[in-house]
Amino acid sequence: MSKILEARSMNKKVKLGKDNELHILKDINLEVEKGEFVSVMGPSGSGKSTLLYNISGMDRITSGSVKFKEREISSLKEEELAKIRLESMGFIFQDINLLKNLSLIDNVMFPSLVSKEADKSAVYQKAKELLKMTGIEKLAHNNITQGSGGQLQRVGICRALINNPDIIFGDEPTGALDSKSTEEIMAILAEINKKGTTIMLVTHDVKVAAKTERILFMVDGNLVAQKKMQKYDAQLDDIKEREESIMKWLVENGF
Amino acid sequence: MFLKIVKNDFLRNKIVTTTVFVFITLAVILAGSAINNIANLIQGMSDLQKSAVPADITVMHAGEYEQAEIDQFTEKYSDHIETQETMILQNIDGSNIHFGQSQTMAGTIQDISFVVQNKKFDFILDLYNEKLNVKEGFVAVPIYFMQQHDLKIGETITVKSGGYEKEFVISDHARDFEMNSSLTSSKRFVINQNDYDEMIEMNAAELEYLIEFKLFENGDSAAVQSAYIEAGLPANGPMIEGKIFTMFNAMSDMAVAIVIIFISILLIVIASLCIRLTFLATIDEDIREIGVMKAIGISKTDIKKVYLNKYRFISVAAGIIGYLLSFAAVNLLNGNMRLYISSDLSGSLKYVLSLIAPLLVYFLVVMYCQQVLKRIDKISAVEALRSDIMKHGKIRKYSFPLLKNKFFSTNIYIGLSDVWKRFKLYRLLFVIFIVCTFIVILPLNIYNTMNSPEFSTYMGIGKHDMRIDLRRTDSITEDFNRLQNELQNDSDIEKYAAYITSSYQVKNAEGSWDFINIEIGDFSVFPLKYLEGKAPEGKGEISLSFANASKDGLNKKVGDEVTVMVGGEEQTLSVTGIYQDITNGGKTAKAHTSLGVNEEAVLWYIVSMDLVQGVDKHMKMEYYQNAYDSAQVNDIKEYTVQTLGNIIDQMSTIVIGGIAIALIIAVLITALFLRMLLSKDMSQIAIMRSVGLTSKHIKQQYMAGTMMVLILGIIVGVLASNFLGEFLVSMAMSSMGAAKIELVNVAWQTWLLCPLALIIVVGYTISVCCKVTVDDDLSVVLRS
Repeated sequence: MSKILEARSMNKKVKLGKDNELHILKDINLEVEKGEFVSVMGPSGSGKSTLLYNISGMDRITSGSVKFKEREISSLKEEELAKIRLESMGFIFQDINLLKNLSLIDNVMFPSLVSKEADKSAVYQKAKELLKMTGIEKLAHNNITQGSGGQLQRVGICRALINNPDIIFGDEPTGALDSKSTEEIMAILAEINKKGTTIMLVTHDVKVAAKTERILFMVDGNLVAQKKMQKYDAQLDDIKEREESIMKWLVENGF
Repeated sequence: MFLKIVKNDFLRNKIVTTTVFVFITLAVILAGSAINNIANLIQGMSDLQKSAVPADITVMHAGEYEQAEIDQFTEKYSDHIETQETMILQNIDGSNIHFGQSQTMAGTIQDISFVVQNKKFDFILDLYNEKLNVKEGFVAVPIYFMQQHDLKIGETITVKSGGYEKEFVISDHARDFEMNSSLTSSKRFVINQNDYDEMIEMNAAELEYLIEFKLFENGDSAAVQSAYIEAGLPANGPMIEGKIFTMFNAMSDMAVAIVIIFISILLIVIASLCIRLTFLATIDEDIREIGVMKAIGISKTDIKKVYLNKYRFISVAAGIIGYLLSFAAVNLLNGNMRLYISSDLSGSLKYVLSLIAPLLVYFLVVMYCQQVLKRIDKISAVEALRSDIMKHGKIRKYSFPLLKNKFFSTNIYIGLSDVWKRFKLYRLLFVIFIVCTFIVILPLNIYNTMNSPEFSTYMGIGKHDMRIDLRRTDSITEDFNRLQNELQNDSDIEKYAAYITSSYQVKNAEGSWDFINIEIGDFSVFPLKYLEGKAPEGKGEISLSFANASKDGLNKKVGDEVTVMVGGEEQTLSVTGIYQDITNGGKTAKAHTSLGVNEEAVLWYIVSMDLVQGVDKHMKMEYYQNAYDSAQVNDIKEYTVQTLGNIIDQMSTIVIGGIAIALIIAVLITALFLRMLLSKDMSQIAIMRSVGLTSKHIKQQYMAGTMMVLILGIIVGVLASNFLGEFLVSMAMSSMGAAKIELVNVAWQTWLLCPLALIIVVGYTISVCCKVTVDDDLSVVLRS
């Protein structure tokens, strides 16, 4: 397996006023393999989301290096980074973050239609397929005010997938959802991962982490431990057992 | 505490607060200076009137005249008439007055006369409003000519007429209450009694009489006028009431003041819109804070106070600064007044009246803020704290799906559809662009209308190339006949028509007799555009000017009958049409030649003509001017320009000012609006960037939307200035006698030049201001 993401001595500092600086990420070294399903856990304020935004190039790191598909991205210009985000990355947020003035299907199609060469009807077909896959095909032409949290998060996933990204980043994608929706969303993500898309997500929820194959544990901006597991298979694996083992591991690491 | 909140808020919204402050200050400056101007005008006019003691009734007469009859009349009506004086005018043609290096005053449409100062009333003053006392060899020149020919005190003018030739040194400006205005067609030069007598002895001029009456305070002007006419006293010229002079004097300054008040109202509206926009933007930002304040028990009145105090503070500060600056600004506006009405504008009335401006603006701003702040009442603490709840609920029909886009790039399409979807937000900008276009195009259209040959329509004359006005001289009838013979044989003249205007008695709405000026001739040669009906074509037909037909005049409609006294007999004429005319106080009439000339009261002869194509108009004008030295030969445009005088000059200043103000407003508001919009859309922009859009893509969206609003605003603005503008101008002009002005619309200026100027300037502003910040971390916005 080849590396899709690689962070070396990654630091992130934020200035809070004149003489107040917050060191959020401290010398992070991390690799993510292509096709891997990784989750990041840790207490509030440990720097999980900051790690996700910095390693994806959404935020600028203070020092160190980040490589995406062997290419250094920490020093790229805004336009080059945007191109990478558009063509090779997908993002799912806890707050869903859809565009208010577009319908659900337009939200999905939008990143694909930005490029001039886009074939509109092909994009439309693909968006419909994705909505069908996530079970919300009937809501395609609704406004975003006409969907539940779970439904809107599925739209977010479809949008993340529209340009066939190499990797999907999720910042607590199930954080605002009920348990039923959480299960459904995780099933979709597992299906996507099975097809070869790398997924890296931040979560508080052990049930979510149990469906990933590697868990990174962060405390105070440091990557303190990681747990490698088999890829989750709903048919073969006992989810309760995985969850208990993760809980135990977390406690051992001071969670 | 209060100052601290204001200070913090200012630091947070520096640009917005400064812009609102600037607009309120500008509104106060303009409103203050306009009120100041009106106060000065009221005080100045009153001072001028006190010093000049103008006549209440002035009758102009040329020809035979007997003072004893006038004295008897004055005696008979001594209940009304306080005193009477007759001023004898020595009329000199402009071509006989030389100045500078072989220049003359030829070509002026003004009747020039040389007079001596009156003894009892109607005094002609200097610039200090002191009665002129001109020494031998000197002359006081009317302000109108001092300005028009750029004459200075100490320079000389030479009068050459027949065997008479004398050089006069200009000693003063002549400020003449009765004849200051360019709308009054006579101007009086004041000389010393000895020089005046010498002029009479040498027969240098035609004589004309101003028979003037000063009435008691409660004297009945209408009764004296009727009695004067009925007594058959000399009156072959117009009879003018004193209030007409007051109106003419005040008109141009009043017009400027009204335009400025109009602009300051616009500025107040714009400032209010800015405040609304600021509220919409900041309240969105502050919604959580409002929730917290409500949650901890602060009353909505106190929360409103926090927001309101800031605008109270701004209004008070802007009001004080604006009020003080208005006293400096007013000097830019009252140059005309200082010259024509009063050089000393130091009265105290303006200090009190000008206070109206800041007080009014303060109350308007505070009232408006309270209105906008009602929104706070609707926000509950829970809603504000859980802003996610607020995002749900409203279900709108989805419009502009991306799939339907056939012509534009996705970004441009999204930008354009955003305007439709959030029109409430863009409405402000749309209104501003309409207003800006309006204040550029309307003055431009008015200016073009005044300068167009078609403007003659509003002066009661058909379109033609050239006109010759014959003055009231002893040889006027012979000159008129000679001129017609010559024109008939002149192969350069394509067609001509002669018109004679005389004064007739007419039965008014109350059944008593008034005077009316009726022009007779063939009106089919140079047809005039009629408001209603048509020109008189046969016997027993008459057409009336709008002012004459209106309720204040004879109160007649097309088809009604008018009774006119001709040659001692009553004749009933049928009204065939109503036309527009702003000359002669707006009250004129036209009848077929068969009505007959009232020989006793011929006012003027006019010959209008069109030249054969290719004939040099100026050469022709010069020829006829030389051949008939008592005539005034004008091309029709020159005639319009001279009659409207400085109104056209002021209009051109307003056009330039309008363009400058419009551009400044458009640039400022666009910049402010975009800043607000970008800050309001911060999270949506961050979402777009997170899915891979560059700042360039996002800029395209906002530019497309704003440019579309600009183009729509320009289109609506141009249409509004063409239709609504026409209506407003017609309404304003109806008091002068023109009720239906059709504005001249120069297509390349209205549809190309002005819009292009706005598009370039605003487009550049949009391009500069549509900067999406890319330095900050995206997560800061996405996670907030």
